[in-house]
Amino acid sequence: MTDPSPNDDFYLRYYVGHEGKFGREFLEFELYPSGKLRYANNSNYKDDDLIRKEVYVSPAVVEEFRRLVEVSEITKVDDSKWKEPDERSTGHQELECKIGSHHIAFTACEIRSLGDIQKWNDPEGLQTFYYLTLDLKALVMALISSHFKARPIPD
Amino acid sequence: MSASDRREGTRHGDSGQNQESSDDGDGSTHSILRYGPQKSVDGWVIFVTGLHEESQEDDIIDMFSEHGQVKDFKLSYNRRTGQVIGYAMIEYARQSEAQDTINNFHGKRFLGKTISVHWAFVKPSVVGESTLSDIDGR
Repeated sequence: MTDPSPNDDFYLRYYVGHEGKFGREFLEFELYPSGKLRYANNSNYKDDDLIRKEVYVSPAVVEEFRRLVEVSEITKVDDSKWKEPDERSTGHQELECKIGSHHIAFTACEIRSLGDIQKWNDPEGLQTFYYLTLDLKALVMALISSHFKARPIPD
Repeated sequence: MSASDRREGTRHGDSGQNQESSDDGDGSTHSILRYGPQKSVDGWVIFVTGLHEESQEDDIIDMFSEHGQVKDFKLSYNRRTGQVIGYAMIEYARQSEAQDTINNFHGKRFLGKTISVHWAFVKPSVVGESTLSDIDGR
């Protein structure tokens, strides 16, 4: 049975990771319509373990996630011209979101700064994507650190 | 005045407690989720939305200290504009402080905007089965 919710047309998943000098490092979160928020962060720096957290956020929080996605206008972005991530050198990120009748699933290279994307195809679309992922990450980090008093490693 | 103005982010029920919902299955029965507040590691966290983009941290903390001492506070800024995104998380030591704040500030106006105040974290539990018409008709 699926998670019941008033936000039943909203789902969100984000992943960013790369193979680095400390092995595979990644951050991932997923928000279900029920409000279940799953968070995982694997940084091997100084032998940090994989951190997994799970908590239910209220419908008001889910609504704020939805609002961030809506105002970003990410559903108008077309990723067909984006360059394919090269896992060995750059890492990659994935954003999947169901919102209303839209279902988007984007894959992009890891973006370390806005300067990166000026040289790539569709810098405007990538910029929308970049800022949205920053806003979503900030909200998730604030939630996780508020609830668990863990200090998630900022990306 | 507490929950009289429910315009922003509040279409799912009352001010954060005992919200009910149904799944989107196509059967006629739907389980009901009842959301109660969930304690965080160090206290009780509320989630404020609808904050004006020019809100100042000190003003928000002042306002939200009326019904309890603010233990922890988080305000996020838009990375593109540097302005407040619109949400804040505020932690209190006691559940009653958080609940009083929700009751008194949800729907209040702050810098000309109506703010919503809810619990940030919830403890969902399925309390039974009901038909969709029961839910819609309440």
